[in-house]
Amino acid sequence: MRKITNWKESGIRGVWFTSALFASLAVIFILGYLLITALPAFLEVGIFEFLFGAEWNPTGSTPSYGISALIVGTLLVTAGAMLIAVPLGLLTAVFLAYVAPKKLRDAVKPAVELLAGIPSVVYGFFGMLVLCSFLQRTLDIPSGFSWAAASVLLGIMALPTIVSVSEDALSAVPKDFREASLGLGATRFQTISRVLLPAAASGISAAVVLGMGRAIGETMAVMMVAGNSAIIPSPLWDILSPIRTLTATLGIELAEVSAGSMHYHALFGIAVILLVITLLVNLASRFVTKRIEQGKALFVLPSLPSLPFRISPRITEKAAFAGIYLGTFAVLAVLAVILGNIFINGIPAVTWEFLTESPKDLGRAGGIFPAIIGTLELVFGAILIALPIGIGAAVYLNEYAGSSRITSLLRTGIDLLSGTPSIVFGVFGFAFLVLFLGWGISLLAGMICLALMILPTIIKTTEEALKAVPQSLREASFGLGATRSQTILQVVLPAAASGIITGAVLSLGRAAGETAPIMFTAVVFSKRFITSDLFEPVMALPFHLYVLTTSVPNTEPQQYATAVVLICLVAVFYIAAAVLRRKLQKNLS
Amino acid sequence: MTPILEAKNLSLFYGQKQALFDVSFPFEEHAVTALIGPSGCGKSTLLRCMNRMNDLIPNCRIEGNLLFKGKDIRDCDAVSLRKDIGMVFQRPNPFPKSIYDNIAYGPKVHGIKNKNTLDEIVEECLKKAVLYDEVKDRLHESALGLSGGQQQRLCIARSLAVNPEVILMDEPCSALDPIATAKIENLIGDLQKEYTVLIVTHSMQQAARVSDITGFMYMGKLIEYGETPQMFSCPQNELTEKYITGRFG
Repeated sequence: MRKITNWKESGIRGVWFTSALFASLAVIFILGYLLITALPAFLEVGIFEFLFGAEWNPTGSTPSYGISALIVGTLLVTAGAMLIAVPLGLLTAVFLAYVAPKKLRDAVKPAVELLAGIPSVVYGFFGMLVLCSFLQRTLDIPSGFSWAAASVLLGIMALPTIVSVSEDALSAVPKDFREASLGLGATRFQTISRVLLPAAASGISAAVVLGMGRAIGETMAVMMVAGNSAIIPSPLWDILSPIRTLTATLGIELAEVSAGSMHYHALFGIAVILLVITLLVNLASRFVTKRIEQGKALFVLPSLPSLPFRISPRITEKAAFAGIYLGTFAVLAVLAVILGNIFINGIPAVTWEFLTESPKDLGRAGGIFPAIIGTLELVFGAILIALPIGIGAAVYLNEYAGSSRITSLLRTGIDLLSGTPSIVFGVFGFAFLVLFLGWGISLLAGMICLALMILPTIIKTTEEALKAVPQSLREASFGLGATRSQTILQVVLPAAASGIITGAVLSLGRAAGETAPIMFTAVVFSKRFITSDLFEPVMALPFHLYVLTTSVPNTEPQQYATAVVLICLVAVFYIAAAVLRRKLQKNLS
Repeated sequence: MTPILEAKNLSLFYGQKQALFDVSFPFEEHAVTALIGPSGCGKSTLLRCMNRMNDLIPNCRIEGNLLFKGKDIRDCDAVSLRKDIGMVFQRPNPFPKSIYDNIAYGPKVHGIKNKNTLDEIVEECLKKAVLYDEVKDRLHESALGLSGGQQQRLCIARSLAVNPEVILMDEPCSALDPIATAKIENLIGDLQKEYTVLIVTHSMQQAARVSDITGFMYMGKLIEYGETPQMFSCPQNELTEKYITGRFG
């Protein structure tokens, strides 16, 4: 009897462990598969020539495969985005954490988070229609598609990450510090700049790196506004020059390349380099955070050169607070402009026919019904795949794993997966699922790519939910003679259900807005009939918007209407998550 | 002699709730004044009025007058008021910086940049707080590595570094062991020569040991105040007597 119980216990433990292992193995497999596919390019072109070669011209009569311009493009676009997002984000975070009264804070915070919920293809769409033409008109230049446009857009997209992570860090600084500093007669701004910001330094640097990761890995928005010439701006600070990133190159060229050609292999080389860059960024952030937490400042900021006169703290204080208010206002204004523009132009075109009919005449007439259904099929399929694996992995990590080597390896794997740019999943899915396994462009391939993308989020939210379950509940269950697996299945998981479900629904929202992972693996632009065959392609809202915007002229009303529907669909998931959380929590208590 | 700080008919409200009732109390210069009374009697609230720390609490307002050197504190700039009236909090709250930087922080925010001057201030303040000998070899190590008692003396040194005239202490020893407490109490005696000290304390023995003047508060009202020996030997008010003799509190 006892033996059987042990068998059963270790069996269940094995299932959890396998789930946790899966996430890490997936990363290794993806990386390995990309690397092997890229190998011919690295060997043929030579790794040095590939990385530093000046010209990217894979389709010329004498093709050349140098990606230095693309790497520089990625770095410049990211740097520009950070230049916008870091100051604005920090000002807003300071406003939320220390300046805003509670009521205002409760209104501004969700508004900033809303910025994160807008799908990247919608940013790209807004960028093309509004931002680029604005730049073109006001600066009187031939084309607004530029480095500047891409950086502005990416900056806006990185804002919510930077705001919310640094606000958390600032709010976590003990209140004592603030009182102590004010008690010494320091002004509020002196307190913020000299005590509170330094005390939150590790969290803030994590916020900046996360925002940077988001900017480096973004595909759709950049691809739609950057102009995409594979050149290094000359002079280097010419922000109105068109520019092309690594991600955009994959997004543009992968769909048209012939499989097995050197061009094809070179694109996988780009995916590998992209992955390596994000990996380096992640490692750097860990290193910096660790150093700061150990109290070893990595960078000692040189003290500002003393001015010959002393600016009165009173004036500094006024200027600083003006900056904080202005920064926050700018962020809210951006949100208002984007949503306002899209909804004002889009709502009139959202008709019953538009929601319930198939597209006709390349989307110029008819509706987007198959795209709505396709998106729903994709995201629910993705969650069905990711949820069991994610919960299993989280249970193993939180309930079983100690602080062993294997655990830290598993965690590293999951971290890497969460840092992987979404287009890399698309590239991998295209090569492995669509071509190698011969599934073709199919619903199932898209589901798997999306599932890989949301898996780390699900693991993280589930772990948080499990951590929130009081230890006393577990002890009570053990005290009644329950085994570990009984305790987990019957006590811990039910108590954590509200957090887990909320996390899952949020992931649905995120998956619904994604384009990059599905555009080579699952979607077609037009399809008359609804299908639920896993091996058939489907339509999807974000991809539909992308194709309409970039390739079908005279469809502005349909573009706006599609954007409205997409935003609303994502919003429904976010609102559902909020409602569910409240409801389930009430039921528990 | 005019008192350095004086409350005149001071009342304080948190929203609808009144926390101080019509308190009038002159605080003499270069004296140690102790405020005693049961929990929730308003003694910390009164203390936090002095350097307008209550400004940080929303919906808090005061009526009546609180004069610093004859001037109403609401007419003073809160920042420079807090420079003149320093504060030591209940729990030691050093910044997560080095010992040196903790002390140099105040002078720096008030515009002192010269390294030698800062060095002198740090040394002088640590000596005044009787901490220098214990930490002189590790001034640039984190202040969080100090013991609780050392941290509290560091916080006192930190408040001395901005050269205040008055030091407010809000139960400065409640988180400390008896030996650390004794050291702080000795220190308070030394500080009295140069500064005016207001201390809120739970412990009547402490008030008796360190203070020249004691005020007894109860339910937001100042019941009576007077010279400490007087207060403890023959209190005028029945409530005070009951509290001092331990019959409630």
